[in-house]
Amino acid sequence: MSDLAELSMTEAADAFARGEVKAEVLVRSCLARIDAHNAKLNVTIRLDREAALDAASAADHARAIGITAGPLAGVPMMHKDMYYRKGQVSTCGSKIRKDFVADKTATVLLKLDAAGAIDMGTLNMAEFAQNPTGHNAHYGHCHNPWNLDYCTGGSSSGSGSGVAGRLFYAALGSDTGGSIRLPASICGITGLKATQTRVSRYAVMPLSFSCDNVGPLTRTARDAARFLAITAGQDPNDATSAPEPVEDYEAALTGDIRGMRIAVCDTYYFDGADAPVVAAFEAAMQALRDRGAIVEHVAAPSMAAIATYVSIISRVEGAAIHANWMREYPQDYAIHLNARLFGGYSVPGHYYVEALARRGPLLKQFVAETLTGYDLVATPTVKTRVPTLAETDIDENPANWSRFMAVSANTRPFNYLGLPTISIPCGFDDRGLPVGLQLAGRPFAEGTVLKVADAFQQVTDWHKASPKL
Amino acid sequence: MEPELVPPTMEAIRRWSGVDCPNTAARQGLADMAGLIADMKKLRGTMVFEDEPSSFELALRQCKEPGK
Repeated sequence: MSDLAELSMTEAADAFARGEVKAEVLVRSCLARIDAHNAKLNVTIRLDREAALDAASAADHARAIGITAGPLAGVPMMHKDMYYRKGQVSTCGSKIRKDFVADKTATVLLKLDAAGAIDMGTLNMAEFAQNPTGHNAHYGHCHNPWNLDYCTGGSSSGSGSGVAGRLFYAALGSDTGGSIRLPASICGITGLKATQTRVSRYAVMPLSFSCDNVGPLTRTARDAARFLAITAGQDPNDATSAPEPVEDYEAALTGDIRGMRIAVCDTYYFDGADAPVVAAFEAAMQALRDRGAIVEHVAAPSMAAIATYVSIISRVEGAAIHANWMREYPQDYAIHLNARLFGGYSVPGHYYVEALARRGPLLKQFVAETLTGYDLVATPTVKTRVPTLAETDIDENPANWSRFMAVSANTRPFNYLGLPTISIPCGFDDRGLPVGLQLAGRPFAEGTVLKVADAFQQVTDWHKASPKL
Repeated sequence: MEPELVPPTMEAIRRWSGVDCPNTAARQGLADMAGLIADMKKLRGTMVFEDEPSSFELALRQCKEPGK
């Protein structure tokens, strides 16, 4: 094979399954990329080099003796350092948990293991997954492979930078306010947040249990479809996981989106948007029209309430989870994090209950107002151009707070609504940084979201653009 | 100038939660809560007596694609 680094996750898996490439070759190729570029990107927290090579050798042996390979067999991955694996350290990107050894293994990791994926180690992330930019005061900031001065998006910063930099084929991220979709958008790759309750969160670090989601960062929508089919489903260890059947999402990727109806929300999502982002978004809508989709503009009058309530929930739940450490070790947090957590203790309890109680009615209202007669809602993933690390560094300059929070303005509402949402690349801004297109569907309509995303990628090359490192 | 809500809110947090203000940025973040307070004020009266958190999981199932 000519350039292993440019294969997508599914291409690598299928090449292994056909016997065209060995797992050991794939792992060594990724290790070589990590050795060459990690010092610049600062992606990894723990690299399990020997374990990955041993797993690859086992996969190659199994295939050689005719054992049927799983759908991700032989494919090297790394994951955000908040997925617990029994006996291993999971730092959660923090100083406080730098020596925390997990006593259980995340359900999603077990499912990926069973599918044959090769886990090469853990990835840098925002401290306790609590920022949208990828800054980390303890393990160093992650850097954007398109320009090292720019932020990666967070909180799954290592996942975004590493997949975009072609250091491995896929990575788990987590998404409470956009933490999968933001690094996907900002690093120019694909990120999927499924319906709330769709994927088990067992043995995954909590941030805001009402809005936390588990999901993949990959290069293509097809990759995300396969990844989701493997990781989704009800889990007896996670009482919040949904019993809805898991579909064959890849089978739905026909490319035929003729007659599908896409709503563009004129309310909220374009307030303060930068012109290069809007231009890339409008070009993406035209590409979907050219494929036969119908794109129309709609209102979303409930957005102000949604944006307010999601802020209440994330603040209060984060404050509750971190209360003991905020009392005992407040200085062990980065400044931007303990500053953010502190405000959560001032929110009255009845406001928190109101925010949760209004969630169901507002979901129904949003669907009635905005999705009735439409299959999807489309927005820019990030409404502003990608900021630099310096422009969003609150620890150095608290005046950067508004720029910092603006990054996740378009992603947070979908965590409150619980809707399946994907970010795919749709262009570049005037500084050469990626722009993301966000597509959201009705609850459990991951198949529809992935179908349109894949159809877009069948006629565009944005997802194939590779940063020069 | 710092909004007047900041010192009494810091005291309330200390009293209720035992958490002290960790730094200047946290104090500034507290000042920014004035915006959230104003946003919540606009929503007063929208919650009805029977609204409850469990309605969300039900709404997820009820809002699925037609025919699914």
